[in-house]
Amino acid sequence: MKTRAIRGILTKDLKEFMREKTTVFWVFVFPIMLISVFGLLWGNPSPATVKVGVVGDGSMIVGAMENITLDGEPLFEVTSFTNESKGLDALSHGSVRALLVFPLGFSQNLSKGVPAHLTVYYNKGNPEGYQIARGTIESFFSEFSERIALKRAFTTAGNLSPAERELVYGIAEPISVSTLTVPGRGTDPMEFYVTGFIALQFLFATMNMIGVGTLTEIEKGTIRRIAASPTTPWDFLLGKILSTLTLIIASIVAGITFTYIAFHTPVLPGVLGWVIILLMATFSMGLGLAIAMLTRSIKATNAVVNIVSWPMMFLAGIFVPLSALPNWVRPIIEYYPIGRAVRDLRLLVMYNASPREVAPDILWLGLASLSTLVVAVISYRWAIQRLSR
Amino acid sequence: MKALRIRELRKSYGDFQALRGINLEVDEGEVLALLGPNGAGKSTLIRILAEGLAYDSGEITIFGEPVSKRTARLIGYVPQESIAYDLLTVEENLRFYADIYDAPVKGIPKLIKEFSLPCGRKVRELSGGMLRKLNLAIALLYKPRILILDEPSIGLDVPSRRELWNVIRGFKEKGQTVLIATHYMEEAETLADRVAVMNEGRIIAKGTPEELKKLARNKSIIHVKGLLRGVESIIKEFKAIERENSLRIQVEDARRLLPGIVETLVKAGSEIRSIRIEEPTLEDVFLKLTGRGLE
Repeated sequence: MKTRAIRGILTKDLKEFMREKTTVFWVFVFPIMLISVFGLLWGNPSPATVKVGVVGDGSMIVGAMENITLDGEPLFEVTSFTNESKGLDALSHGSVRALLVFPLGFSQNLSKGVPAHLTVYYNKGNPEGYQIARGTIESFFSEFSERIALKRAFTTAGNLSPAERELVYGIAEPISVSTLTVPGRGTDPMEFYVTGFIALQFLFATMNMIGVGTLTEIEKGTIRRIAASPTTPWDFLLGKILSTLTLIIASIVAGITFTYIAFHTPVLPGVLGWVIILLMATFSMGLGLAIAMLTRSIKATNAVVNIVSWPMMFLAGIFVPLSALPNWVRPIIEYYPIGRAVRDLRLLVMYNASPREVAPDILWLGLASLSTLVVAVISYRWAIQRLSR
Repeated sequence: MKALRIRELRKSYGDFQALRGINLEVDEGEVLALLGPNGAGKSTLIRILAEGLAYDSGEITIFGEPVSKRTARLIGYVPQESIAYDLLTVEENLRFYADIYDAPVKGIPKLIKEFSLPCGRKVRELSGGMLRKLNLAIALLYKPRILILDEPSIGLDVPSRRELWNVIRGFKEKGQTVLIATHYMEEAETLADRVAVMNEGRIIAKGTPEELKKLARNKSIIHVKGLLRGVESIIKEFKAIERENSLRIQVEDARRLLPGIVETLVKAGSEIRSIRIEEPTLEDVFLKLTGRGLE
């Protein structure tokens, strides 16, 4: 191994990279732009307020709805409509998430203590919005009904014996739940997107840098020249790996620093997180090099890297949360190393997972990286042998 | 000691025989030109010597040592295509190759000065001649004992070519062994002590330019320039090389045949600008030996 030659290749690659504006853009600037866009759009959790429309005689309920808050934010934003068709029109256009239609005499029935019925319409066009609105409204009515039942029970049970009174309270509230909270670490959406950006660097930039970089040297004839010099093709490969790794790690550090400065979100992978990042880098470099050496063309390498990476960006949980993915896609995350690695990275960064939780995955990732690297090295050796034939 | 000795060297690419038993010796301090048209096998031979390209059979020794990765440092090689990196400066390229060849960096300023290279300028901003000189400087970083140049002046304009030839003449004066592969007969004639003429994977003649020209000594060349018509009938009858607005006809008795040739061309509608009877060049030797021109 020629240390001087490896250092020379590393220095040369870094200088070439920094002078190639397009590459600097894609590796450093574009990811930061992506983080900025994600941060500005989804960086702050959206308020939990549910917009509801009301029609008819529901002043008692509406008053309660308008006063209820969650973490200081109003739970409902109520808009009154003069008739049902106007309310339904607003619902179908998405300006309200639900429409509560109170029939005539609703408040009167409620005051009298006789059953009071209302109709609630939802728009299922937005499944996520529908789930949130329905859950919130049903919880509200459940809680509201319970309170009314208890109030009536107190009124009714005033003259009863203590045992009979308990029985009446039990009918009004069969189960009572005390809610307590413990302090915990909150997650920040930016942590999700920054870990996604880290994986993105391994899906495209790493594979292209090492694959296309090596092919360019083959096409230019410099590898033939190096092969005839005291430096070996293996020294060259090591230099190339080091330069790719340096640039990718630098881009990740730049992305993390930017996120901290711009969005005040510290994303700290920790030692284990960096181990996962290095394994992802090894896997990605191995795959990129193998693709380049087997396709033997810069255009074909770019095409294959895109064919592999574009679907993975969505299917491997890089930018789409696992919960939003259909069931058939989930095994992809299990078996595609970058998908699995980013999931573990999120467990470490967002949920402080213990090393024991991610250890089996690290072992799997290590094996996958090693296998890919072996294929890459074999195909690189073939390519070098072809040059001397 | 022989700087280079090649015995019965053969190399095939599938069914195609690129080298068909090459025998060649180059003395230390000698400038030898491998002259031949494109596809003659010159580049294959050079890649075997300088890039370790595998060969089928034969024997090669460089200063008495069989060719191997160990002998690579004895050879300074300037390929046809530049190996300099466009985005690096001249000096950075030299430093990079010094690292690759484990050569001392202290010689770099001297090389930059010797070749008048703009050390801080990026390679993509260099002219063709400067670029060729940079590649020469790269080849000389580790003080090789043989310098191999593959088509050194290809793609260069006339002033750059002359400048490069002066550099190569400088090597010759310093006693450097040089092997030049070229298809420009003028380059071979100007620079080489000896010329080996290659065609279809074989060396078909070798000697000093004067010795080779004697092979065609009973021939004269009628060199006609102008807007020429009816060239086909001349080529059918004589050995001739046609270039743009120029025809070189190889004949034994120029004075006797000249009027007939001129008449044929004029009758076909040619506008003749000049007619000269010349001594044969190396290209005429090649024409005599192979029946075709060098390009």
